[in-house]
Amino acid sequence: MDIGDSPDEAAFRAEARGWLEQNATRRDPTKRHRQASTDVEQDIHARACQQWQRVLYDGGWAGLTWPKRFGGRGGTPWQAAIFAEEQNKFDVATGAFAVAHGMVAPTLMMHGTDAQRGHLDAMLRGDDIWCQLFSEPEAGSDLANVGTRAVIDGDEWVINGQKVWTSGAQHSVYAILLARTDPDAPKHAGITYFILDMRSPGIEVRPLRQITGVAHFNEVFLTDVRIPVANVVGEVNAGWKIAHTTLSNERALIGGGNTSWSIQELIEMARSFGRTDDPIVRQGIAKAHTRAAVLQYMGYRLRTSISRGEMPGVVASTMKLFYARHWAATTALALSIQGADGVLWGESALDDGLWQQTFCGQYAVRLGGGTDEIQGNVIGERALGLPREPTIDRDLPWRETRGSGR
Amino acid sequence: MNFDLSDEQNVVNDLARQIFEGHASVERVKHVERAGDGFDRELWRELASANLLGLCLPEDVGGSGLGLVELCLLLEQQGRRVAPVPVWATVVLGALPIAEFGTPTQRDAWLPGVCSGDVVLSAALNERGADDALRPTVTAIRGEHGWHLQGMKPTVPAAQFASRVLVPARQDDGHIGVFLIDPADAGVHVESVKTTSHQPHAHLVIDTVVSADERLGGDSGDGDEQLHFMLERALVGLCALQLGVCSAAIEQTAAYTSGRTQFGKPLSTFQAVSHQAADAFILTEPMRVTMLQAAWRLMHGLPSRQEVLIAKYWASEGGQKVVHLCQHLHGGMGSDIDYPIHRYFLWGVQNETTLGAGSAQLARLGELIAKEGR
Repeated sequence: MDIGDSPDEAAFRAEARGWLEQNATRRDPTKRHRQASTDVEQDIHARACQQWQRVLYDGGWAGLTWPKRFGGRGGTPWQAAIFAEEQNKFDVATGAFAVAHGMVAPTLMMHGTDAQRGHLDAMLRGDDIWCQLFSEPEAGSDLANVGTRAVIDGDEWVINGQKVWTSGAQHSVYAILLARTDPDAPKHAGITYFILDMRSPGIEVRPLRQITGVAHFNEVFLTDVRIPVANVVGEVNAGWKIAHTTLSNERALIGGGNTSWSIQELIEMARSFGRTDDPIVRQGIAKAHTRAAVLQYMGYRLRTSISRGEMPGVVASTMKLFYARHWAATTALALSIQGADGVLWGESALDDGLWQQTFCGQYAVRLGGGTDEIQGNVIGERALGLPREPTIDRDLPWRETRGSGR
Repeated sequence: MNFDLSDEQNVVNDLARQIFEGHASVERVKHVERAGDGFDRELWRELASANLLGLCLPEDVGGSGLGLVELCLLLEQQGRRVAPVPVWATVVLGALPIAEFGTPTQRDAWLPGVCSGDVVLSAALNERGADDALRPTVTAIRGEHGWHLQGMKPTVPAAQFASRVLVPARQDDGHIGVFLIDPADAGVHVESVKTTSHQPHAHLVIDTVVSADERLGGDSGDGDEQLHFMLERALVGLCALQLGVCSAAIEQTAAYTSGRTQFGKPLSTFQAVSHQAADAFILTEPMRVTMLQAAWRLMHGLPSRQEVLIAKYWASEGGQKVVHLCQHLHGGMGSDIDYPIHRYFLWGVQNETTLGAGSAQLARLGELIAKEGR
């Protein structure tokens, strides 16, 4: 066990910081930007993410942990963590490539054909933003119930159906898609994993305006959309296992991320509202501080297990659930510190409603990437060895489970 | 950076696990609790003969020269079996400060005996009332024949078995001194008390004069520094015990709820049950990472004040929630003292409050963050 930077890691940190100093501006840790809300703001943010990704690419810092043969730097998970810690001190736009880099890339590296891996370079360069077409109105926590149909027609698959809760679909050039290819097989055994060009005819993206004021998510309607057979990832009808690679990376991504706020920000806010002598506020801030420390240390464990070549299963679920609760508790604390001003909203509120927006945004964290309850099931089954909850539809043909009032 | 245990740490962990699993069975723990004085001397001898009591003591006194992380692994294994032996009192509270600050005479007098299992030590850190270990109420007045110590120290672990108890006291010059007190001294009244965990403790009423040689580190010893050192290690040691208590309690709860059938299926297949068990797990993982972080930093001499408080907050707050959940999920069996889970509940509650429950740690942490930031 060694929790400090080794000499190599310290040298890497210094090199990263030096490069960042030259290529970006430091940000004030007690201030942060409100999330891009309007369509125009979101477009600007997406473009800023692309530009920063290009700067990283040209500087040799993109794809830190990607193997060199895929155009990455071939670094360790620790180096990626160190770089993220340092980058977080600078005012740069990130986030638009979370799906591409965090979920699609590891999946294609593990399961993709050489041609499919050809996408990796454009992701790394910051050219292509990707989205994930997994969830449907009838397939949320029960993701294996996806009903979007894919039917073969010559050397193309024809897709019909509806997806929902798709982050960033309006900015994406490509998507990963789960669709039902064998409705007569049990639900887990008839799903195929596709790469979809979002510029194909028959795709309609409708933004969902959220409680936070942001339209981060979308509905995506697919009508007679054609996908070449070469875009199947892995085997036909074997998409569920591949989706698992993507999902456990998603959990690690959500839970492993730093919160955008800092404890200093809370302390400064308490000071400005004259609340620093309130013992309840003080204890609340101290609790938030302990939770932030826990997440940091769990991140060390996560990266240790990734370094060993393990899939971040239980650790990722634990962190994701802990992170979601931390988010909920800390944002509620922030609003309570504001006292009567806590009810204000948007431009009437402190910092244009930054904390109100973050508070309402907790549901994206608690529900996305597997709900709190799904993480509870994962922990029960995989960390504690509890028996699986009995299911009635596991071995039935998927078609027979439809509309049977399950 | 690497959060994995080293090979050496794994060896310590496995050895400790073997000994506690072999010598602290449920039946054995029950027997010691009912028949004896609450101190399992057979197990104590086993620990000594494997040199686990001297694990982190210097090699020149018979120890193995390892560090606090290894000692915490030992305590975690003890917690897993709720084994009735005064490891925390003897090694953490007594031997570590003597090894760090003791004069050569003090080290030679007590540390070889700790390694061999012949000596029990302890320290009196609890205070009545505000319970601030850093503000001791026992007074020490320098006189012709040594130091006159006067005052009361509540709930000192294993004091009735100890050859020496380290007693922090406020000196007449305003500084703190830590004194090695013999509980058998005629001027020390030892009143055995019952505690929640059933582990032997005693109140000490002290009115005695001790020689200047019994001051830790002699005349030049810095008592303020010594007391901080003692308290930080005492807290982290409790965190390690609590981690063992909680992780074993969860495992037993998972097994129990998976074995017990109601409505025709195992209890644990009901989400109302399995999610409570998962919650207990989510509370235990923070205890593990915060304890290891604090122990590792202390072992490497890094600033650790915040990390220690964070760890004890989680051990207290997370720990008490875990043992409550496990107790509850055992249904009526939780209150049956023939069934083992209640001991985990009682130990968990005692570890929670010893040297300050969650809110006490938060209050101190709040002051530090306001001052130091981070």
